[in-house]
Amino acid sequence: MTVNAIQGKRKWEPYIWLLPSIVLIAIFVVFPILIVFKLSFSEISQGGVVGGFIGFQNYTEAVRLPAFKTVMLNTLWWVLSVVGLSTVLGFIVALVLNQKFRGRKIARSILVFPWATSLVIQASVWNYIIKYEYGSLNNVLLNLGIINQAINWRSSYTVEFIWECGVGIFVTVPFVAFCVLSGLQSIDGSLYEAATVDGAGFWDKLWNITLPLVRPSLTVSTVLNIIYVFNSFPIVYTMTKGAPAHKTDTMITYLYMLSFYERKKGPATALSVIGFLILCVCAGVYMMGVMRKEEEQ
Amino acid sequence: MKKLLALMLALVMVFALAGPTAFADDEITLDVIICQYGPNTNDWFLGTGMDGTNFVAKFEAENPGIKLNLEVISWNDVHQVVDTRIANNNAPDILNIDTFSEFVPDGLLMPVKDYCPEELFGDFFPAFIAESVIDDTVWAVPDLASARALFYNVDILDEVGVDVPTTWAELEDVSQAILDFYDGEIYPWGIDMTTDEGQACFAYYAWGNGGGFTDENGDWALNSPENVEAVKFAVGLVEKGYTNPNPATQTRYDLQDMFAAGKLAMVIVPNQLPTYVADKGGEINMATAGIPAAEGKTSSSVGVMDRVMAFKDDSAPDQAARNEAIGKFLEFFYRPENYVGWVSMEGFLPAVNSAVEALVEADPSFEAWLDVLATCQFYPAAKAEWAQVRQGVTTVEQEALIGGDVQAGLDALQAAVTG
Repeated sequence: MTVNAIQGKRKWEPYIWLLPSIVLIAIFVVFPILIVFKLSFSEISQGGVVGGFIGFQNYTEAVRLPAFKTVMLNTLWWVLSVVGLSTVLGFIVALVLNQKFRGRKIARSILVFPWATSLVIQASVWNYIIKYEYGSLNNVLLNLGIINQAINWRSSYTVEFIWECGVGIFVTVPFVAFCVLSGLQSIDGSLYEAATVDGAGFWDKLWNITLPLVRPSLTVSTVLNIIYVFNSFPIVYTMTKGAPAHKTDTMITYLYMLSFYERKKGPATALSVIGFLILCVCAGVYMMGVMRKEEEQ
Repeated sequence: MKKLLALMLALVMVFALAGPTAFADDEITLDVIICQYGPNTNDWFLGTGMDGTNFVAKFEAENPGIKLNLEVISWNDVHQVVDTRIANNNAPDILNIDTFSEFVPDGLLMPVKDYCPEELFGDFFPAFIAESVIDDTVWAVPDLASARALFYNVDILDEVGVDVPTTWAELEDVSQAILDFYDGEIYPWGIDMTTDEGQACFAYYAWGNGGGFTDENGDWALNSPENVEAVKFAVGLVEKGYTNPNPATQTRYDLQDMFAAGKLAMVIVPNQLPTYVADKGGEINMATAGIPAAEGKTSSSVGVMDRVMAFKDDSAPDQAARNEAIGKFLEFFYRPENYVGWVSMEGFLPAVNSAVEALVEADPSFEAWLDVLATCQFYPAAKAEWAQVRQGVTTVEQEALIGGDVQAGLDALQAAVTG
């Protein structure tokens, strides 16, 4: 066999190795997405039977729904608060866990629990914790004498939505912390030693050494979190089911209610496509911004 | 050698795929979906909850030519599963669920007369059958029912020295008395306007005020003055502090838990409450009464009914044999020795006359509930817009809880479902 023939064969080798993944992605990711796109332009009956092409009718119906604006704003707040705050808190937790102290291994193990537990269980447990009548939070505060009478921790839908965001942050922080921790552990300690010799303080080292070097880890965790949090269903559905009157719904829970409670499957499918496109744009813009910055540096 | 092995493997795969049709073409397999009513449902149909065996095993032993591919699916998932299967042209043969009207316009269901044995059909309560009729055709049969009534804690009312309320004015007076007596420690009245039960709440107050979902002609009448007044009254109870504090998120089960713990004095819930309280270890001295109505209006019980229906399958080679198999399934399910166990297991009420005697014999308290059931009103589930209305009235209630305009909300809903 000639060298050229061997090189020609080698040229195809990576694609052959990639083929199983490509086939799986095509079947389980690309194909369903294409189906949803097709459905969003089709008439769908209450019973779920797919009819003919109806253009953008499902989209116009979806954006004219009374709850559309509220749900979009909720989704924006939900993603910004959960991704933003969990990134900041996760970063701080990672910095702490990167220090040497007694019980560090145990602390790292405990941190996994909120992330590893099912979201439905997490949301249900928090539901019990903040319950007015028999909730653990009220019980603890009453027993400690901090309060004289039980507090209604769910006194308005704004407060309920804040609780949902809080639970979202609680379960997302560990993921960010571990991503950042992996980045922190790859930083050469001599960089900090050199900076210390040069008279750099804590903030100087954080800003000029730590942050630039963990940026790839933060990028990964942020992009993944934007996708996970945007698509997160269990927390909102378990805690409020969007009540009252969709005031605590996010896009994902709302389109579920629309499809399976109100049986408006056409607009629900259109909403899911809108959500997919928003997600693609947000994740894409963020990725491009970060990559451009890295190239500049 | 490798080629021989590959050939053998391929032959095994081909036979494995072809097996069910190649060797059992005279056998009928029915795909059945049953909703999970409680912790015992799965065990009764598929485990050992039916006298040490299960429904499927007993049915297949009695009907050698029919196989059941039966799944028990939770209420949370069943609509999603059914919709997905319909979209994939793989509807179940037999489905047990609450609503049916959404499947009729697409021609997915078979008329009941095509498969239900006449003797069995005559056994259903006629009032129940009437709730599953569209265009003079019966599309589903009832599998069970529950009736809702006012349950009250006798000890609390006695201690306060008040009688159980029968009118809205009395309800407010009694609630105020309980509130004053216990200084807010006990909720006088339970109210559930959650996403799953808002339509029931609407029914309790609208029907008790001479209103309702439809008018006397069966047309939607959601924005009638009676309905507007009813929703305002219900929300007023919340605003006056007579109820649990978060009606939009506190479910019926939360209310039942509060009642079982002696924290709630009165609540409208299904007839299974005594079983629920006993299971929770509660010992509440409770009694039932009619749902309070507006002054001069008639109290009305609320009945909730689930159904069994059969889907068409044009690919079935022998339609007559398939219909007969579905009929045999129904006949076996509703046979008193099977059906009584099923209904009483989760504390529901029967849908066939033949089960009444045995049920009352087993539990005399059923008799009173059967009387209640006879006077119940049911949701207009046969109307195609029911799903939208169900969620719509819930949204109006929840909007009203945060200051929304009830009249405007019901006007918009009426326009949406009739426009």
